[in-house]
Amino acid sequence: MTTKGATTPAVSIQGLTKRYGKLTAVNKLNLEADSGEILGFLGLNGAGKTTTIRILLDLLRPTDGTASILGYDCQKQSLQARAVVGYLPGELGVYLDLTGLEVLNLLAQLGSRPLNKKYRHELQERFEFPDKDLRRKLREYSTGMKRKLGLLQSLESDPPLLILDEPTEGLDPVTQESFYELLSDLKNRGRTVFMSSHVLSEVARVCDRVALLRAGQLALLSSVEEIRKLAPRRARVLFSEDVKLNESLPSGYQMIEVKPRVWTLAVESTLGGLLKVLAPLPVQDLELEEPRLEDVLIKYYRDDAR
Amino acid sequence: MNKGLILIGYSLRRVRTLVLSMASLLALFQVFLIIVADSLHRNGSFEQLGELMPPFVRQLLGPSFIGFMSFGGIVSLGYFHLAVVGSLVGLSIALGTTPTSEIETGFIDLILSRPVARHLIITRSIAVMVISTVAVLLMMLIGTFGGLNVFAAAGATWPKRSLILSLASNLALLMLSWNAIAMAIGAASRRRSVAGGLVGLLALTMFLLDYVARAWEPAERVAWLSPFRYYNPFEMLTGEPLSVKNLIVLAGISVCGFAAAYFLYNRRDITH
Repeated sequence: MTTKGATTPAVSIQGLTKRYGKLTAVNKLNLEADSGEILGFLGLNGAGKTTTIRILLDLLRPTDGTASILGYDCQKQSLQARAVVGYLPGELGVYLDLTGLEVLNLLAQLGSRPLNKKYRHELQERFEFPDKDLRRKLREYSTGMKRKLGLLQSLESDPPLLILDEPTEGLDPVTQESFYELLSDLKNRGRTVFMSSHVLSEVARVCDRVALLRAGQLALLSSVEEIRKLAPRRARVLFSEDVKLNESLPSGYQMIEVKPRVWTLAVESTLGGLLKVLAPLPVQDLELEEPRLEDVLIKYYRDDAR
Repeated sequence: MNKGLILIGYSLRRVRTLVLSMASLLALFQVFLIIVADSLHRNGSFEQLGELMPPFVRQLLGPSFIGFMSFGGIVSLGYFHLAVVGSLVGLSIALGTTPTSEIETGFIDLILSRPVARHLIITRSIAVMVISTVAVLLMMLIGTFGGLNVFAAAGATWPKRSLILSLASNLALLMLSWNAIAMAIGAASRRRSVAGGLVGLLALTMFLLDYVARAWEPAERVAWLSPFRYYNPFEMLTGEPLSVKNLIVLAGISVCGFAAAYFLYNRRDITH
């Protein structure tokens, strides 16, 4: 399998628009995912994530704009583009009278690379998905087992780019952990992962960058570290006796929760101003929490919901 | 292996139970008709049966009535009995809407996320239909000729082999044309039930149109629209040769339907 030059972005989306009648699902979206990175693709339901992913796979045809995968145009060179992708849909649509093995074998035969049984077994071991489960009919599968099967079919050809729609939905915590470890291995081997997720802690843990969609448009594109810097720190002040908040806080501080002996504040500036306020009070302890990605993203989500 | 062949093999495995069950049932039906014809022949009941028929039915069937009320006519009935034609058209519609079913379930997402060209999905479905049609009609022919050899009484006049083969060929093209119509409508639909229901209703309407037009002059003017118009078993029973014109029209409907299916499926959004 040859792909275009090393500097070619794994995913490149330029002015992508998809309209359904009057509804605009994706609106002039521009986005690039670099080779070797894990890009979290976020947004509320209906923000346009799945539509974008389906355009990348040529399942949907864009109204305007272009998208390419490793330099291959997703519509004009669709076969070449899909040859380098492993895809996990949000919902695994399968016929329940088939066995997991039948599904895997069919899809492996349709892929661009010969099946590497050793790698398949390695993945099965990681996900604790033995052969005997693969030989069962899909009607006997739990949600989690279907998800594992979905992951197996997307990963087993070891493609340069993985497009994963809600990959850990329905997985138990142990398998989730195995999946995160696998993502780390894939990244170390130079694979690119383009994943949508609603689990912000997961995004914070595994993604290098985050692209947040709002009403079909890119609302935020930044590294996880940069986004964390945008988030206010949280300070928790514990008092040795009950206190009352008599004066307003200086700018840069926002009270989140007030209890007689505990205050929780969002701190957007240095701590100096807060220490002045606390000086006359019977402070027992002061705890500072690291900025959380969720705090920034939730703010964007709330703006979207409005 | 070629991706088209992989898809054909997979789809044949999925439909084999349905197709083989139907083929076996229809083959048994041929044998059953031969046993009935044999019984009527032994008892000399064909004339009595003919007299029982109302005059308007005799008038409607014309000279073919005599051909029908014979050993050969009853044996041939297995190729134009309403239940046989209905089930074969039903099978054609079911197979024709397979691509729609794959979209509805989401299975096509997994297939088309591989480097598989969209036209292969339609080509695969046509190949599966052709193979299924050949399998079903072959089983029916085996039922007919096997049944004749085993159950037909000596002295009974067998239907000509050319008649049975003509009926089977014409029926095959009728099936193919309904498959093509179903595939074209299915290629523009999101739900198999909607596409299948629509084509089923259309088939029933076209069948009734053809039926009514045989007795009611005004309907005759639009009866050419019905694919059933191009399958005339009663004419063949009177010794008319297989109409090449009918075959061309049915083949034309099939080609147009399949072309529309390719076009629509290739342009559509795959969304469920």
